[in-house]
Amino acid sequence: MRPFDHRTPTSIDEAIAALPAERSRTGAQVIAGGQDLLTVMKDRIDEPEALVDIGGLGLARIDEAKSGDLVIGATTTIQAIADSEVIAKRFPALREAARSVASPQIRSQGTLGGNLNQRPRCPYYRHPDVTCFKKGGNVCLAEFGFSKYAAIFGGGPSYFSHPSDMATALVAAGASVDVSGPEGDDTIPLDAYYVLPDAALDTETVLAPNQVVRSVVVPAPTAGERSTYLKFKERASYDFALAAVAVTVNLDGDTIVSARVVLGGVAPTPWPSLEAAAALVGRPMSPETWKAAGEAAVADAVPLDHNGYKVHLVKGVLYRALESLA
Amino acid sequence: MSAADPSWGPREDLDVLDRDIPRVDGAVKATGRAVYTHDVRVPGMLWARLLLCPFPRATVESIDVAPAEALPGVAYAAALKEPGDEVRYSGEDGVLAVVAAETPEQAEDALAAIIADVERAEPVVSPEQAKADGAPIVNRRPGATSNVDRRNESGDEAAVEAAFAGAAAIVERTYEIPVQHHVCLETHGHVVEPIDEDGEVLVHASTQAVSGLPRALAGAFERGGRIRVVTPHMGGGFGSKFGPGREGAVCAQVAEATGRPVHLMLTRADEFAMAGNRSGSKQTLKLGASDDGGLVALRLDAERYGGVGGGALPRPPYIYRVEGEASVMSRIASVHTATDSSRAMRAPGHPQASFAMESAVDELAYELGMDPVDIRVRNLESPVHHRQLERAAEEIGWYDHPHHIEPGTPDETGRAVGIGFGVSVWSPGGRGSTCDVTVHPDGSVVSATATQDLGTGARTYVAAIVAEELGLTVDQVTPRIGDSSLPPSVASGGSVTTGSSAPAIKDAAHRAREALEERVSTVLEAPVGGYVWKGGRVMVRDDPDRSLAWIEVCALLREPLVARGQFQASLYEGNVHGAQAAKVEVDAMTGRVRVVKMVAVQDQGLPLNRLALRSQINGGMIQALSFGLLEQRSFDEQYGYLVSDNLDVYRIAGAQEMPEFVTIIDDEDQRPAVGGMAEAPVIPGHSAIANAIYNACGVRLTRMPFTPANVLEALYGKV
Repeated sequence: MRPFDHRTPTSIDEAIAALPAERSRTGAQVIAGGQDLLTVMKDRIDEPEALVDIGGLGLARIDEAKSGDLVIGATTTIQAIADSEVIAKRFPALREAARSVASPQIRSQGTLGGNLNQRPRCPYYRHPDVTCFKKGGNVCLAEFGFSKYAAIFGGGPSYFSHPSDMATALVAAGASVDVSGPEGDDTIPLDAYYVLPDAALDTETVLAPNQVVRSVVVPAPTAGERSTYLKFKERASYDFALAAVAVTVNLDGDTIVSARVVLGGVAPTPWPSLEAAAALVGRPMSPETWKAAGEAAVADAVPLDHNGYKVHLVKGVLYRALESLA
Repeated sequence: MSAADPSWGPREDLDVLDRDIPRVDGAVKATGRAVYTHDVRVPGMLWARLLLCPFPRATVESIDVAPAEALPGVAYAAALKEPGDEVRYSGEDGVLAVVAAETPEQAEDALAAIIADVERAEPVVSPEQAKADGAPIVNRRPGATSNVDRRNESGDEAAVEAAFAGAAAIVERTYEIPVQHHVCLETHGHVVEPIDEDGEVLVHASTQAVSGLPRALAGAFERGGRIRVVTPHMGGGFGSKFGPGREGAVCAQVAEATGRPVHLMLTRADEFAMAGNRSGSKQTLKLGASDDGGLVALRLDAERYGGVGGGALPRPPYIYRVEGEASVMSRIASVHTATDSSRAMRAPGHPQASFAMESAVDELAYELGMDPVDIRVRNLESPVHHRQLERAAEEIGWYDHPHHIEPGTPDETGRAVGIGFGVSVWSPGGRGSTCDVTVHPDGSVVSATATQDLGTGARTYVAAIVAEELGLTVDQVTPRIGDSSLPPSVASGGSVTTGSSAPAIKDAAHRAREALEERVSTVLEAPVGGYVWKGGRVMVRDDPDRSLAWIEVCALLREPLVARGQFQASLYEGNVHGAQAAKVEVDAMTGRVRVVKMVAVQDQGLPLNRLALRSQINGGMIQALSFGLLEQRSFDEQYGYLVSDNLDVYRIAGAQEMPEFVTIIDDEDQRPAVGGMAEAPVIPGHSAIANAIYNACGVRLTRMPFTPANVLEALYGKV
């Protein structure tokens, strides 16, 4: 691993000043829990000259605003989210997402900010000897190669699938991120935070290299809202999502009056399925409706050689998630 | 003077053996104090790392190690291929260079600094690529003109077709099994200490062959020396750790070149690339039965996928009997790819054969409307199998299960439950092994043999057998193993360790006992053979009041008493049977197969340590479950990258995958002899799981592993 400076700013402005304006493999990066960044460095994907440690900025918190909104600080650990009574009571999908992340060790060290900004898990991307689109190369090896874990939506020119559980659940919850940078503070809706590979290849988000995520704001759930996050792993013990869904519905009697569906693990970003949501609204909460929503969700899927099963799987996981809300 | 040959004695007389004996090294392992080869730290030690070619086939243009040598802490860097050399396959032949540095981190950085230019060639990593017209010849056999060889044909096609013509039911399918890995928790490697002033070269090795390794390593040391191998604890081998490998030779080279101790253990990525595997296979199996379920005809067309190695697959019929003289034919060949050679792995070839045969037998049962247990009993000769299958069926809940002769279907919520079966046989080996039992005047006892404990519990019986013979407790005997300077023992392969070393230990203990009885006879005045050793005392058999305490017996010795034991065939048994059952829940919506319960019934001869024996059987079931549900090596076929060279992509079962295990030692077997239990329990588990999936929902999985991807495609077709 390339030697690097470990910087410990005492204010967010100091942290921002230590970060580069231009994105590069060797530029300084923010570190919090380090659970993804250190693996990126060990695999020599990035070799930052400095790590700007925001662990000392006091960002970790889980607060309920007077409005009922939930504010989660960027350096809050995933385990703290999983253990939070407020979140368990009012935001069950977030709790389920947090509990589904990795292993207890990683949850206890990894942070929400890090989870939202983690890099792809594509085995080609992680392979130290491979140069692909995502690493400045001119090919996506997954497109015609080993594509078992690749995206079935939103792919091209790169076909990785986004690994974050929290992102999928938070997009469904309508969350936004508060960021700070040299130009000041900003709030970015999470559904506009992630970018597809056809818009950018050297990053997965709109966050500038010298912006820092301070916190995530989750709006208060509407009255009577039901939500869940269901992650499906190839291996039940400690794995990334093969496919995941975050679903929120409001019912009037047995009729679905509003719905949000976001898919995870199947696209280079969390993948809101407006089609699935539309197939739910106005319909009764029933197996037929759940199946129809699944068909709508995958209507535009474009599988590669080895990931056609994800078309079946998305339908099944969405069905199971809706079933659990009935 | 010998009063009797050694014997294990009646089971009811045993005080130590045939019971649950906690491992003597359990505490040091559980607390991390046990020193494995990985853990060895010697003053002045260097850390070495290998640079592997990322491509299976390539021509080396240049390897420049100078940038590595210039880095801090780097003591040694060397290219191991010359410009113009070819890399012929992914694996040992892909080792391009080695570095050694003061810390592992410095060695990693040095590795990254090496500039290796290679010209990539067509990868040839899949059987399809190997068989394609004009494919480069990657077969390593001299003069080979094809990547397909080792053709093995038997049986008369016309006669077999005639036998099929008389069958009441015929099934035929193609079964695909990927290459899978041993995944030893401890990777391969050595710590080599250079020759000392006494001419000894000390090699710490993670090996299955402590006694044999010095000879295997001898050629690696140009300066000679007397090689001593030590392996006090060992983190798994499963058949992949018999020889020193390329990594052993390179470690020796670096130690000689630097004159310093060198730690060279493979990284996990190296381990996946060059430490062997279980060969894959593709088997088209056609099987016919008469209307009473008797098997009457079999045809197998199969390919073994062992990379540059041959792979393994036993000739049919596998375990089950097929009636008739000329009713079986097979055509088996190896298809070579430019990938790492297969190695022996826990019952080489058998889990592969089991998957096809057990699936086909099972399918015939449903075709004929027979109970899958009944068709097995009908075609298995041994009554041991019959009783074991019935016991397994009872324990798994088969007799309360609704679907016996027709599979179930997913319920209205898309869920289904099924039960399946499989059987095993194995012939554990037994051959020359030696042991020294030393009794000291102060009462201490040492039992010493060079055998290795791969994690099986061997160390514990090295003490327990002696304790039983001398009427002591296990903790009164000190076992010494894992050192090539001890009395030689066998390499651990083919379930031979127990069958070979336990008789030698017993023989040594028996000789020590007789030598002690000679001394005792001067005091207690009964002849040799006229004593009972129990509870820390020796008593005259016909007059138990005449006795001595153990410490009094040892006080009769003026110097340590050493007894050398040899393998005794009469103490060894080489034939075991098993039956397993699996119960699964299938979620037809998601393709998830959850194994909820597995049952194993296994005979054994005399169980030396029932606790360790059950652990071995559980371990076999776990490994088969992991193969069945998850494990698969994957190459990128365009460039030849090994994408599954990590435990992120090469998934193995974890705690969440574990079912309830019911592990039954078949105590109707009262044979007074011992044998190993390494291979038998790993053979049928995945087959039972596949059959349980069919029983649950009527879908036959013909491709391993039974991942959600493969289950969903079997259920709904490929998208």
